[in-house]
Amino acid sequence: MTGTNMAGLVGRGEKRTGRLKDLTVRWSFMAPSIVLMVLLLAYPIFYTIEISLTRFDIATFSAGAWVGLDNYREVMDDYRFWDSLWVTLIYLVIALPLQVALGFGIAFLINAEWAGRGFIRALFIIPMVVAPVVAGGIWRMMLDPLWGIVNHWLGFIGIGPLDWFGDPALAMATIIIIDTWRWTPFIVLIATAALLALPKDVFEAAKIDGANWWSTLWSVAIPLLVPVIAATFVIRWLGAVKMFDIVLASTYGGPGKATNVINLFIYEEAFRSLRFAESAAMAVIVLVLTMVLTALFLRGTRALEDRY
Amino acid sequence: MSSETGVLGRNKKRLTAMAAAIVMMSATGSAVQAEEGQGTAENPVTVRIIANEAFANTWQTTLVPEFNKVYPHIEVVFDGVPYPDMLAKMMLDATGTDPEYDAYLIDDPWVPQMAEVGALVDLKGDEIAAITDETYDWDDFSAAPLAAGEWAGVQYAVPVRSNVLLRFYNRTLYAEAGLEEPTPEQTWGEFFADAEKLVRDRDADGKDDVWAISTYFVRESLTPTIWQSILNANGGALLDEDGKPAFATPAGAESLQIHKRLLDYAPPGGLGHGFSESLQAFRQGLVANLFNWGSIYKATAVDSASTTLTPDEVGIQVLPVGSAGAGTHRGIWIAGISSKTDKTEASWTFLQWLTSKEGESVNAALAGSFPARISTLESEPAEPWLAPVYQTLKHAYEVAAEGGMWRIRSPRSDAAQQILADEIARGLAGQVEADEALDIAAEKIERALR
Repeated sequence: MTGTNMAGLVGRGEKRTGRLKDLTVRWSFMAPSIVLMVLLLAYPIFYTIEISLTRFDIATFSAGAWVGLDNYREVMDDYRFWDSLWVTLIYLVIALPLQVALGFGIAFLINAEWAGRGFIRALFIIPMVVAPVVAGGIWRMMLDPLWGIVNHWLGFIGIGPLDWFGDPALAMATIIIIDTWRWTPFIVLIATAALLALPKDVFEAAKIDGANWWSTLWSVAIPLLVPVIAATFVIRWLGAVKMFDIVLASTYGGPGKATNVINLFIYEEAFRSLRFAESAAMAVIVLVLTMVLTALFLRGTRALEDRY
Repeated sequence: MSSETGVLGRNKKRLTAMAAAIVMMSATGSAVQAEEGQGTAENPVTVRIIANEAFANTWQTTLVPEFNKVYPHIEVVFDGVPYPDMLAKMMLDATGTDPEYDAYLIDDPWVPQMAEVGALVDLKGDEIAAITDETYDWDDFSAAPLAAGEWAGVQYAVPVRSNVLLRFYNRTLYAEAGLEEPTPEQTWGEFFADAEKLVRDRDADGKDDVWAISTYFVRESLTPTIWQSILNANGGALLDEDGKPAFATPAGAESLQIHKRLLDYAPPGGLGHGFSESLQAFRQGLVANLFNWGSIYKATAVDSASTTLTPDEVGIQVLPVGSAGAGTHRGIWIAGISSKTDKTEASWTFLQWLTSKEGESVNAALAGSFPARISTLESEPAEPWLAPVYQTLKHAYEVAAEGGMWRIRSPRSDAAQQILADEIARGLAGQVEADEALDIAAEKIERALR
């Protein structure tokens, strides 16, 4: 064996040892997080899947006899499950674009220099720190057709009285209004940060080229913001798909079933009807749907990032 | 002979002394046991009870001090839990190996669920009979409330806060509308005839400002109790003798139409009214009638801090009469003892006191709870306003017992009630016709109860 070969072998051995060390260090840093993730996230998910495939034993409050996909068939046959998914879809299709558009619009408006901008920004945080149940309760009082202040004000301009909780369309509007009130400020904050991070020279160049306010917005700001808008949409989607507490506190899913979003339905079936196995099956279906849609949105986001 | 007699006599004395010693030992043992069971000054016993948060705190601050005047060494701790979370939390606790609670406050339809998982002690069984005061009279309970604590022939719980759906009416609003006061014999037809006149523009500003009725219309599990009381008053029933749904009938649909028709005479936003909203509307004098739980009477007609009305203004009676009779609905809070507790005696001591004639009177006077004992209902009430209330209660208990006016009794009653809540809500909101809503509910409930 020549000296060169020896040196090569020693070098490879050292390299391998070094890589092993590196891997060990990396994994040792990641291990606590992985253990935590498995305990806190994976275990509940796998337990939910297990329950969904069994007959829930109420006497031991745990998974009982294996029933295969029976609970899934039961859920698929239940029109209430599909109705709740439909209601959730209506809410998401209206609320998400509205909140993103409003959030970025407001951010664009308050981005200009004006006195009191800091104070207004601070006010925007308030809805986000109010507990959803409290927000739902307060809005329920404000929108109450008998005692609420909103109908009183609308009366001055000749509108109403509106039956916010009795009319199915208005009840859905109520949920969207409350949710928008709560979450638009969050988008405003993200959008403000994104606007501040935009390269100033591009705007200066546009100004020199004679671009007006609209051209600057449409041809410069929005294309630059598209990746952020898409990412914000995904973040907000992940929050909105969990909609539950505002509905519980304001409309109870009514009138009829007009605002009975899927999470409220799952909650009621589990904790009021004690149908844990069927609820677990619904939760698994919703989880899969959410994951698929999130993956699609992320792909879309990446495509937009590449394009702009 | 004499020596024999002497030996026998000595033996007899010895035997007597031994027997006396055994009796004394056992008596001492019992005393020690009793002391341990009911606690001592040095070693008090703590009994934990899960209860509805709506009244848990009131009971803790008003009833427990009264109980401790008689039994100072038993500490009773109520844990208030929101009503919607109660059943799941109790079931989770009861099925654990070491339950946190020694006793459970249970709503009317929950006894079968709790009994089915073996969570409760048989209150008329030998174990409890041995520690029950001989003056405790089970036969003194009205049949309807006592039956709420029974399942499959076993008495698992005892009524601690009796309740029934009743009709409250505002005498002032009836007089202003030029109407006679309603009576317990008033029919639904007569009710609606009056309702036309009770919706009025009181201040002549061109807009109605008082209405005829408010009650449960919102999508929640207690809303079907209004429909069911109308159904029962029309001779209908939720289940037949085989336990199959029997409400998807013309009488059922007609009863749902009547429930829905009430909305025509309810305030704006009536479809969103439940317990709190209807109660507020009545307390503020905005509606002439309220169908709600009788236990709210004190806070609706007596306590000036919570109502604008007085006992003279508020009438109370059963719901209007259908083709078979008057309507009501039983809603009893009953209490049972955990089958896994090691504080059975202390728990039963508290429940015995609470459901004794003395305890019921204290509970009625301090917490406004309604009694279940016939002797309490027939005795002179502690407060004058209770007299008409007790009279109505007696009537309502009879009506409920005759008509079987309670929710489905089954280990799956909550699933059935939730289905009813969904479909009745859709029917009331006009999203489906009454008969379609009831057909769907019947099909789903049949599957749920299997």
